[in-house]
Amino acid sequence: MIYLDYASATPVSEKAIKAMWPYFNEDFFNPSAPYLAAKHVREDYEAAKAELAHIIGAKGDDLVITAGATEANNLAFSALDVIKTEHKNSQALVLETEHASVLELGKKYQAGLIKVDHTGLIDLVDLKRKLTGNTAFVSVALANNEIGTIQPLAEIAEIIRKERETRLITGNPIPLIFHSDASQALSLIPISVARLGVDLMTLNSAKVYGPKGVGALYQGHQVRLQPISAGGGQEKGLRSGTENVPGLIGFAAAAIEAKAHQNGARKRYESMAKILKAELEKSPVAPAFLGNKKHQLANFCPVSFPGIDAERIIYLLEEEEIYLSTGAACAASKGVKSHVLKAIGLNDAEIAGSLRISLGLQNTAEDMAVAGQRIVAAISKELARY
Amino acid sequence: MKTVYVGMSGGVDSSLSAVLLKEQGYHVVGVYMKNWSRDLPGMRCPWAEDLADAKRVAVRLGIDFKVFDFENEYKQKVVDYMLAEFGKGRTPNPDIMCNQEIKFKLFYETAREDGADLIATGHYARVWNDEVKELANQGSILAGGTQAQPAPALLMAKDDNKDQTYFLYRISEEAISHTIFPVGGMLKPDVKKMAAEKGLDNAYKKESMGVCFVGEVGMEDFLKEYFKEQAGPIIDVETGEKLGTHEGAIFYCVGQRHGLNLGGGLPYYVVRKDIKENIVYVSRNLNAKDLWATELELEDIILRPQGAAYDQVFVRLRHRAELIPAQLDGNKLIFEKPVKRPASGQSAVFYRDGVCLGGGIII
Repeated sequence: MIYLDYASATPVSEKAIKAMWPYFNEDFFNPSAPYLAAKHVREDYEAAKAELAHIIGAKGDDLVITAGATEANNLAFSALDVIKTEHKNSQALVLETEHASVLELGKKYQAGLIKVDHTGLIDLVDLKRKLTGNTAFVSVALANNEIGTIQPLAEIAEIIRKERETRLITGNPIPLIFHSDASQALSLIPISVARLGVDLMTLNSAKVYGPKGVGALYQGHQVRLQPISAGGGQEKGLRSGTENVPGLIGFAAAAIEAKAHQNGARKRYESMAKILKAELEKSPVAPAFLGNKKHQLANFCPVSFPGIDAERIIYLLEEEEIYLSTGAACAASKGVKSHVLKAIGLNDAEIAGSLRISLGLQNTAEDMAVAGQRIVAAISKELARY
Repeated sequence: MKTVYVGMSGGVDSSLSAVLLKEQGYHVVGVYMKNWSRDLPGMRCPWAEDLADAKRVAVRLGIDFKVFDFENEYKQKVVDYMLAEFGKGRTPNPDIMCNQEIKFKLFYETAREDGADLIATGHYARVWNDEVKELANQGSILAGGTQAQPAPALLMAKDDNKDQTYFLYRISEEAISHTIFPVGGMLKPDVKKMAAEKGLDNAYKKESMGVCFVGEVGMEDFLKEYFKEQAGPIIDVETGEKLGTHEGAIFYCVGQRHGLNLGGGLPYYVVRKDIKENIVYVSRNLNAKDLWATELELEDIILRPQGAAYDQVFVRLRHRAELIPAQLDGNKLIFEKPVKRPASGQSAVFYRDGVCLGGGIII
């Protein structure tokens, strides 16, 4: 098997599985239970949370552990509900290439859309134009989940800081909150919430070789949120429900491990992507590599073969146990065209011919050569049909 | 080389159909028909998965694949018709309407406009037309191993257990003239075996789908979204006694014995409904006269070939039910022995010597 869809799911690392294991049957206690054995579980849980928070330069108490990134995004948008209780006309802005969860939340809150350029990079002029005195919430993913474009969060944060300053001077009391979904980026680039200037940040275990269904929201001290579930008051009262102890332990172990290998992995991805691209260049239909060459996650290799039906390529390759994807899995399974590829200005033929290739720790240079050749062979086979 | 557009669902029957047509030398184009579905939270209507399954098979066969979006037409011609019929207290058959209006009309016409000479589906049925005659001359398995005079004719499938002509009886002669049913001459177990031999078993999906827009919730729950519940009496047709309260007469079907909530003992059957007064009449007596009929009145009768008249036919009153001899007198079917009365809105389908001659809708 050659798996090239790490942006959609990653295998859980051995270390993470080992770390989680005891918490299923030995140390299974409810962390809120009164006996000492349970207190030890609570301590392990909080320690894991602190370790995870440390990766992004935060404290354990800054995190709210959720059942995945989508839930964390939902919790993040609750900041807007809080603001709206005092400032009815508050509005949100989201990047037009956000993940479905943020985009749908944006729709719910009638958010404005910030444009991107043809590489998927945020149009800062458009942001400035759309940022009004009523804007209370801005959401921009650190890295895009289809083409891997890394956004200049610090620059965005600077624009937001200036706007806050203006509001202070003019006496506009509406707060302005900056949220970023860092699901794809966590294992690949160094992240510091302070340096990036975000108030809320979404993290995702399933993309960093941790278990699925676990995520976290970093909550800056000045941000108030609304509970997304009512109950026993866990997670600072924002996300009630017995803690997913093994889930968080696995998430933290995986994230720490991925971070430790980050630099080496990035270099490997860069050289593997080179091999893959060289093979793809041999395609009878010239490949168009998508995204931003300078600002792209190293493991992303999105590419379009205009005129080819990429879905057919996927079905041909799956027979050879080579797995890759079109667009985002959520979008692809609903049969709708990728909004990301539309936003970067691709036409219908280019969108239909697009493959999302994303590399991961298990890939080898040899995989890249084989996969590249097989993709080209599949394209040739498709061309022969006409 | 003739071009055949095959309706593909991703299931074994249409998948093998496409393979067999390709092996016969046709230019085969796979088509997924997107019908109306309810994309609502809490409802699973996995058309996107079905589409992917169908496309996957098409790609493995190396054939072209298209999607025909019939969502609006399906809503109008099948769903709205069905709801209107239920509203009148009848029990329509949406599959029959789907075949008449969508698969063998809209799909046929759209395919022809798109360049198809013929269409094909994975239905268990056979046809006799010019193309199939030709195939029969060549000894092709696609011919289905039977014939009928005159052409075009719709014939029962070889596999009695699977025969779907009950659902197909209303399709037009024009469609019959341009259709091939590649698996109609095969037994289902053989279809599965052959699909496996051809390496398809890994491609097609195992589960077949029901009426997608109704989903797993069932017809009653579906109807409750469109019709308000309205309490009414359940009355014993023989004693006149009120036995309980129902949720609205239109939700019940004549012959039904579940969901009446009348407690234990012998089951009650719905024998009649009064939609206007919202009364459901039931009986414990399986011989209650409303449950049986020696005469059935029909409407919208279709007879093949066009202009034909029949006085003696064999009738099928339900999918796969036995063939019962009957006399056809105008719009009336007269039986020698009483038959279990089908619900109004269901179909009576006519046969003779394995040929499906048409049928009508029971008033």
